[in-house]
Parts: sequence; C-alpha cells; structure tokens
Amino acid sequence: MSDRTNPETTRVAPPVEVHEVEEHKLGFIRRWIFSLDHKVIGLQYMFTALFFLFAGFCMILIMRWQLAFPGKVIPLIGRWLPEAMASGGILLPEGYNMLGAMHGTIMVFLGIVPLGVGFYGNYIVPLQIGARDMAFPRWNMLSYWIYFVGGVLMLSSFLLPGGPAQSGWTSYPPLSIIATSGQTVWLVAMIFIITSSLLGSINFITTILNLRAAGLTLMRMPIFVWTQFVTAVLLLLAFPPLEIAAIFQLMDRLAGTSFYLPAGLIISDQILEVSGGGLAILWQHLFWFLAHPEVYVLLLPAMGIVCEIIANGTRKPLFGYKELVGSFIFLGVMSFLVWAHHMFLTGMKPALSNFFLITTLIISIPSVMILTCLLWSLKGGSIRFTVPMMFSLAFLPLFGIGGLTGLPLGVHVTDIYLHDTYYVIGHFHYVVVTGSLIALMGGIYFWFPKMFGKMMNSTWGKVHFWLTLIGMNGVFFPMFIQGLAGVQRRLYDPTVQVHNVMVQPLNVVSTVSSWILLLAQIPFILNFFISLFWGKKAKENPWEATTLEWACPSPPPHGNFAKDPVVYRGPYEYSVPGHKTDWFPQNEPDAESST
Amino acid sequence: MDTTGNYGWWLPVQASSYAQTIDTGINVIQFAMLLMFVLWGIFFTWCLFRFRARTARRAVYKEPAHWKSWIPDGLVLAFEILLIALYGIPVWSRIMQTLPNEKDANVVRVVAEQFAWNVHYPGPDGQFGNTELSLISKSNRLGLDRTDPKGKDDIVLWNQMFLPLGKPTILHLTSKDVIHSFFVPAFRMKQDMVPGLVIQRWVEPTRVGKYEIGCAQLCGLGHYKMRGDVFVQTQEEFDRWLVEKSREQREEREE
Amino acid sequence: MKLQKNIPLVLFVFAVNSLVMGCGGKEEPSTQGAESEGKKETTTSEATSPVDMATAATINGKVLFEGTTPKMKKIDMAAEVTCQQMYPEGPRTENVLVNENGTLRNVFVYVKEGLGDMEFPTPKESVLLDQKGCRYYPHVIGIQAGQPLKIRNSDPVAHNIHPKPKNSKSFNISQPVQGMETTKKFSKPEIMVPVSCDIHSWMSAYVAVLDHPYHSTTGTEGTFELKSLPPGEYVIEAWHEEYGSQTQTIQVGEGETKEINFTFKPET
Repeated sequence: MSDRTNPETTRVAPPVEVHEVEEHKLGFIRRWIFSLDHKVIGLQYMFTALFFLFAGFCMILIMRWQLAFPGKVIPLIGRWLPEAMASGGILLPEGYNMLGAMHGTIMVFLGIVPLGVGFYGNYIVPLQIGARDMAFPRWNMLSYWIYFVGGVLMLSSFLLPGGPAQSGWTSYPPLSIIATSGQTVWLVAMIFIITSSLLGSINFITTILNLRAAGLTLMRMPIFVWTQFVTAVLLLLAFPPLEIAAIFQLMDRLAGTSFYLPAGLIISDQILEVSGGGLAILWQHLFWFLAHPEVYVLLLPAMGIVCEIIANGTRKPLFGYKELVGSFIFLGVMSFLVWAHHMFLTGMKPALSNFFLITTLIISIPSVMILTCLLWSLKGGSIRFTVPMMFSLAFLPLFGIGGLTGLPLGVHVTDIYLHDTYYVIGHFHYVVVTGSLIALMGGIYFWFPKMFGKMMNSTWGKVHFWLTLIGMNGVFFPMFIQGLAGVQRRLYDPTVQVHNVMVQPLNVVSTVSSWILLLAQIPFILNFFISLFWGKKAKENPWEATTLEWACPSPPPHGNFAKDPVVYRGPYEYSVPGHKTDWFPQNEPDAESST
Repeated sequence: MDTTGNYGWWLPVQASSYAQTIDTGINVIQFAMLLMFVLWGIFFTWCLFRFRARTARRAVYKEPAHWKSWIPDGLVLAFEILLIALYGIPVWSRIMQTLPNEKDANVVRVVAEQFAWNVHYPGPDGQFGNTELSLISKSNRLGLDRTDPKGKDDIVLWNQMFLPLGKPTILHLTSKDVIHSFFVPAFRMKQDMVPGLVIQRWVEPTRVGKYEIGCAQLCGLGHYKMRGDVFVQTQEEFDRWLVEKSREQREEREE
Repeated sequence: MKLQKNIPLVLFVFAVNSLVMGCGGKEEPSTQGAESEGKKETTTSEATSPVDMATAATINGKVLFEGTTPKMKKIDMAAEVTCQQMYPEGPRTENVLVNENGTLRNVFVYVKEGLGDMEFPTPKESVLLDQKGCRYYPHVIGIQAGQPLKIRNSDPVAHNIHPKPKNSKSFNISQPVQGMETTKKFSKPEIMVPVSCDIHSWMSAYVAVLDHPYHSTTGTEGTFELKSLPPGEYVIEAWHEEYGSQTQTIQVGEGETKEINFTFKPET
C-alpha cells in the first residue's frame, strides 16, 4: 500500500486563527465552566453523560423489580417515587410506562451519543489529527450547554403532576398527543438536544476536513476519526426531519393542528375535537428516518474505539484499512435507506416492505466486513491483554450476537412474529450495551492516562470487566428466549398474558443480573476517582501507541502540541520490520533524520 | 395460569396455516446465525490463544491477501439473496397481500380501543350493519345502528373471537383511538391497528382450541391488560354458534 | 467575552420551561396539591357552618317510579373471569334500579338554587368510591368541591379510574393491586361527572360536585333527606342517569320539615 512507503505529502492544512488564550490566566468560570477548550468540553460531556447513563440505569432497575416481582412494593425507594408513578411504594402501570420512555430517551440521547461523540469525539479527534482545537470552539461550548439544558429539562419533567413522557422513546401518535404534559416537555427538550447535535456535527465535519496536520491525508487518519466523521454526517442529515416532526407534534398537542391525527377519534367514549386529515404513520416515517441512522451514531464511535485499541493491543496494523473505511462509509449511506424495517407491520404496501427488506439485508454486508477485518486483525498479532484490550475483544463476539439477531428481525416474514417482542429488546441491547457501551468503557481505561496523567488500576479494571460481562449477558440473553415465546414489549405485568407465564422466571434472572451489573460498576467508579487523585503517574505514551494523541503531554496543555506535528506515515505502523521498537509513531521522522 | 398447554419455553403451538412457514424461517435463520457465531467464535478463541503476546515473537507486519476477507461477506450475501428470493418476498406476498375471496371466507371486523378489542360479526346474513360515530356510547361501543336491517343480526363480542377451523377468515382491523396491534402468538399473526386506516389480514386456523390475543403496540396504561381469546371451533360448531349468538344478542336487545 | 450571551439563553430556557409546565396536553391529571387551592379546609363542617341550627329546616321525600320496570341488560364480563365469577346469576347493568316499593334508586337530589352566596366549609372527611366485582360502589356520589374523594380498589384485578369532568381538571390513574387507595379532588362544582374504567368499559359511576352539603342519593327505600337547611325558598332538583332531571320549588320556614316527591316514568 502506497501510504506506508511514500515520503510526506506536501499538503499542509491552511493556518488557523489561533485565539490568544494560551498565555494569560483564565478565571475559574472561563477555565472550567464556560471553557472553549475541546478537552474541557469533552470532559464536561463525559461527566454529564455518565451521570445520565447512571440515571437511566436506575430507572430500569426500578422497572426490572416490577417485571420480576409484579405488584410488590419496591424496597428502599418505593415510597419516594412521585405520586404520578407509584402508589404505596408499588409502581403503577403509568409509572412503568414513564420510566420506560425516559430510560430509552435518556440512554440514547443524553447518555450514549454525548459520551461517544461529545466526549470521545471532542477530546480525541483534534488530538488525533494534530490540531490545536476544534474548528469552532464557541459553537462547541454552546453545543454542550444546549445539551445540558435539554437534559435538565428532560429530567425536570419528572416533577410535573402528570409525570414525564410515557409514550415510549418513540412517542407514537395519537397516544403521545393525548398524553399528559410530560410529553410536551419531552418534545421541547428534544429540540434542544437535536440543536446541540446539529451544531456539533458541523464542527466535527469542518475540523476533520480542514484542520488535519501536515502529511495527514484522509487515508492516514486513524479509523476512529473516520467513524467520527461518518457519525457527524449522519447526525447532520438525519436529525432535521425529527426536529420538524417534533415541532409538528407540539403543534398537534398545543395548537390544534392535525398533522398526525385522523378525524373521528374516540378517546374513552368522547369524540376528540380535531380538524383531522392527518396520519399517525407520518410520525413513524419521520421519526425512524432519524432513529435508524441514530443507531449507527450510537455504534460507530464505539467501533472506532475498538479499532484503535485492537491495533494497539495486537501490535500490528489493522487488517483491511481501506475495507474498513469503505464499509463505514457504505454503512452510513445505507443507514438512510432502511428506516421502515421498524414499520413492517403498519400496513405498508408489499413493494415498500420488500424494498426495505432488501436494503436491510444489504446493510448487514458492511457490518460483516467490519467484524471480519477486526477478527482478522488478531491473526498474526502479539496480543497484550490489557484492560482496554479485554473490553475491545469482548466487543467482537457480543456485537456479533447483536448484529446476527438483527437478521430474523430484518426479514419481514419472521418479523411478523418477532416485532414488538423481547427479541427486539435483546437485539438492540446487545448492540448498544454489550456492543457500544463495552467499547466506550474500554476507551475510558485506554485514554484515562492521556486525559489525567495517571494510570487506572488494572486489577480492579479486570474485576469490573468480568462482573460487567456476566451482568450484561445475564440481563439480555434470556430476552431472546422470552421473545421467541412471544412476550411483548412494554408490559407492566407480563403475567397477565397467559403465553408469558412459563418464561416469567427469566425476568427474575434478568433482574438479579441487573443487580450484579450495578455492583460491578462500583469498582469502576472508585477506580476512576481514586486513580484520578492518587493513581500512578502515567508516561506520555504508556500503551506504546502510534497515533498523534500520544505525542503530547499527559494531560495535554491548552493548544495541545508545542509545535504543530507533521505526519509521515499511516496510523497503525506497529511491528515494522527493521524498526527498533514495535511501534513507529505517525509523527516520528524516518530513520535517516532521527536516532 | 395456562391450562391450554399451548405455550412453553420456545415458540407456541402452531395453530394457523402459515405458522409453520414462519417457524421454519425463524429456525433456519437462527441456525445460520448460530453457525456463523460458532465458526467466528472458534477462530476468535484460537487467535486469542495462538497470538497472545510472548517476548520472543513479534507480530506480523505484512498484510495477508485481502480477497479472503470477502469470504464471510460472500457467504452471508449468498444466504441472504436466497432468503429474500425464495422465502421473504413470496411468503410475505402470500401472508400479507393475497387475500382469499370474500365469498369463500369468513369476515370479521376488529376495532381496538383503550383497552379491549371489539369483535364485530356480520351475522347469518353475511352483511355488516351500518355504524355511525354519533351512535357510539357505553353500551354501543361500535356505534352499530340496530335499526338498520343489515345490523339486526350482527354479533358484537368483547375481547373474544370465534373462528371456524379450516376456513380462512378475513379480519378488517382498525382502532378507535390510538395505535394498537392485534397479536395471536399461536397463529403467528400480528398486525398494527392504526386509527384512520382499515387494514385487512387473513388467517386460516388449523387447530381447534383457545388461543390468546395480546396487544403488541404500547397503547397506554392498560396496554398490559389488553388480552383476549380466540376460540377455534369446527365448522359445524361455529355455524351453530353464529346463529345462536346472533339470536341471543337480538333477544337481549329486545327485552 | 461571549459569556454575557449565554446568560440570556439560560434564562430564556428556564422561562420556556416554566411556560411549558403551565400549558397542558389534552388531558391533564391533577394531584392533591394542585387541587387544594380551592376552599380552605376546617376541622368539622358544623364548627364554622354559617347555618343557625336553632332555625334549621328539613326537606325530605321519595322518588317514585311509574310504569313497567325495564329489564337491565346483561354485561358480558367474560373478559374478566375473576369478576364474572362473583355474579352467580350473571351481572346486569344498573342504569335503572326500581325498588320493591315502587321507588327509584340512585336518584341524586340536591339544592339547585336558594342558598344565595352562602359559603360552606369544605369537609375534611373523604367520600369513598370503591371498586368491587368490577363495579363502582356507590353508583352515584355527592361530594363538595375540594373535598377528598378516596378511591379504593377492592378487586384482585387492575382498574383504571378515568372521570371526565368539564369544570375541573380530569385525571386518569390506575390501581393494579388489590387494596390500593388514591385520593383525588374536584375543584369546581359540576352536575354530573361521569366516571369510567378504560379496562372494563361497562363500569360506570357519577360524581356530583357541589359547593354545599345539601344532597342525598336515594337508596333501596327510594327516600332522600336534606337536613339543616336555613329557612327560605329552594329549587330542589332530582337527577337520574336515564330519565334526566326534574325540579320542584319549595319554601320552608324556621324549624319546619316538609315533604316533596318526584316521579319518573320511562318515555314510551
């Protein structure tokens, strides 16, 4: 491949207006609260997103209690739940639906995406491309604060007398239109969150295209940067329809319009006074047009992290760099063409459903390619089982399960039976939790030394890893069995339906596993904070990695690099024959000009 | 408590003419998934052992041939093309698109609401009575116009459906309020019921018995309670039931 | 620097938040807290009642039924076997219940006019609405605006309580477990607020919300009594869910007890 042997290219990024903040001291607020530094903003995203992930997790813990022990008083916190959600410490059906809708919303929009893109993207991308900061630091800061306000708004809906949104994270009308005021707050909060993502995506695209260091051609970029780039394009193109759809729903709720409401609806024996003429399915199309690319937004940053860590951990270049890049781009394009596989049972014409069947099966091809390349990268390697590597390795088979279980759902005939069952819940949690989240966790162990200048304790990291693995699989694997038995989604008390009774014990298995999963995070949280203050001091490049973020101090100062780096080779030059060490950093000049 | 024995730890009993086809699809696809996972898993585990770091040996820098990386994709693509062409498209067309002739079939209307199914039979005359929005009340949930001669023999049931064995029934599915979904696990039948649309689906029961109806689309706080039963009877039993029930409901109205 | 730009944004957002929390969706449930801005509660009705007990009068009487008693329709409770089993002879609707003595049950009799602008303290004792055998007990209730309505589920099945008031905020809550009790209030007077269960749509009750305590519902004897009335002229209304309302005007002097009767008959 030409990239590795060519001398440095002559392409140099145009000089950027450097804002004059390096030298003078900033006050606390400007340094840590309203900072323009991508690293501070990245850390703000990290802490906020981890908080929301934990909040979403607590919500599902409450739901899981009800699922395993229907109608029983929730221990410890039952009496503290708001009146709209629980009575006498027992969760109410409307409370279950509220937690369900909020769990999904918070995990997807306030947890995983801000972690994967807001934190990892913001922190690592400028470093990996050798830039001093993002292209638009003020937009970056605004992006974070708009997300923060959207998140606060979302959580504040729990205080409403009618409780928060309760129509699923999918908010299908007409149910969402007749729902209590929590749904209005959900819609407004989503507008904030979407705006934040749109600002961010423009920032990422501009930064990656324009601010790369000299010699860093597109095909020398780390795969992580490629995945962030594709993710940003997905966000930019997919979110606007949802923002408009949300505004339409707000108008149907508050302004008497009927975008989604047909005439003649009878709600609880009373005719709904609406102008009519709308269609409930319209929302579904607009929602899923975003929400399908959204799941690739959840996935791609995590896959990028896995690529980085596996290249580093196997001490050899990743197999199939070009295939990987091509697959990620193809995946991004296809992700816009599959959305109605979420709608196979809405009464679509067969021509449409067959089209989406074909596109959905086509989209499995790049995913298979990516996994193949990553698996093949292990062959011939010299695998170091560090904590980040363990998380990244675990990603491979577990994401495999997630991806494979998408197959009977993507084939519309078998989806007739499996749609809206626990099979779907198992499928997407395997992809997002045992897939994305595992990789995101691994990334924290990997880049912690760079961000904080300290090493995390690896023994406790391994404890966290194994307990988390057991917990996650214990929660989600039984769901495939439940799904095959026909257990539907979003059931407050599954045992009311006769066909669910036999597999009810699996709910207990999942619930107990969720407690293991909760406990498993304790070593992680303690490890994080203890290492932050008292951890072993980290070298500049403790993992002996080749990419540019390891070529600056740990933690990097404002402006990142003392001198703008120059790149001479590809991102994964490990075990180069003849080189004295088994890693050849991207910015290290060739042998004849260095020792 | 399930006294029917129709439901266990795997797929439920097969009670309709297309249940077997859907089950075959599920089983074949899952077998293929398992195969792929096991093969990949073996390779994965082998690599972890074979290529773990040892001081004497360095990793291999040179890239092996790239065409091999297309093998898994090639196999997956071939499998999927067969799946689409031989299974997906034809079976979907048969189950979802091709309705039996109305004169050879039983016809039933199902109107979902929060939180029950209203099941409407045209009765022995085979014609549905008119329904009017303005007639909808607590005791007349479909707004059936009982003065309409066609509607005099109609049967309206609540969360129950009676179907004849071996004869296709066409269901006209809609909703009064929000989106529901008509799901009979034993039939492998599921169809969203969208207010403002009437969607037609057919089913041919192949087994006498009692089969559960569940709601498969979140419809509010009573979603979990929204259940019913389909009773599949022999054709003779069904014909007797139809006449008797129609008479019974008519007499009750005239009391 | 650009810090100043962010404060207005944050303030705007909180303003939007407060605005949004104030607006409602199509159905807005209430809590105890939201409703208690009505009348100030006192310890007992009599303690600060404006009525002088020395001169208080009484209006009582019967509600008669004339004509053939209509047969009540059967309710198909097959969907809820647990409740169906509680009715050995099969459950029937209860919109017209005629007592053995020819009187009509579940007629709500109350003072419609005549109290002027007298204000009555809101009682603190709650009125019970129970759910048993997939029915509401009692079928017709009178309650004062702001008075607590205690709703209990005595059934081993889930119920959902969905009243549809026009003047007060409505609510839609469920009680999935036997023994659950929830207390709600209606803030404004209204005749009548229908109550139903979305899971068992045959269930029906009526709640009359008044701003005074002078109401009575006829029971198995068909009689009603309005006690402790200040002397004066009153319009008394009798309401029945099937046969509508009838009014009569009557004058009572100090300490007097007067009797009036209402007669309902089915339209032919």
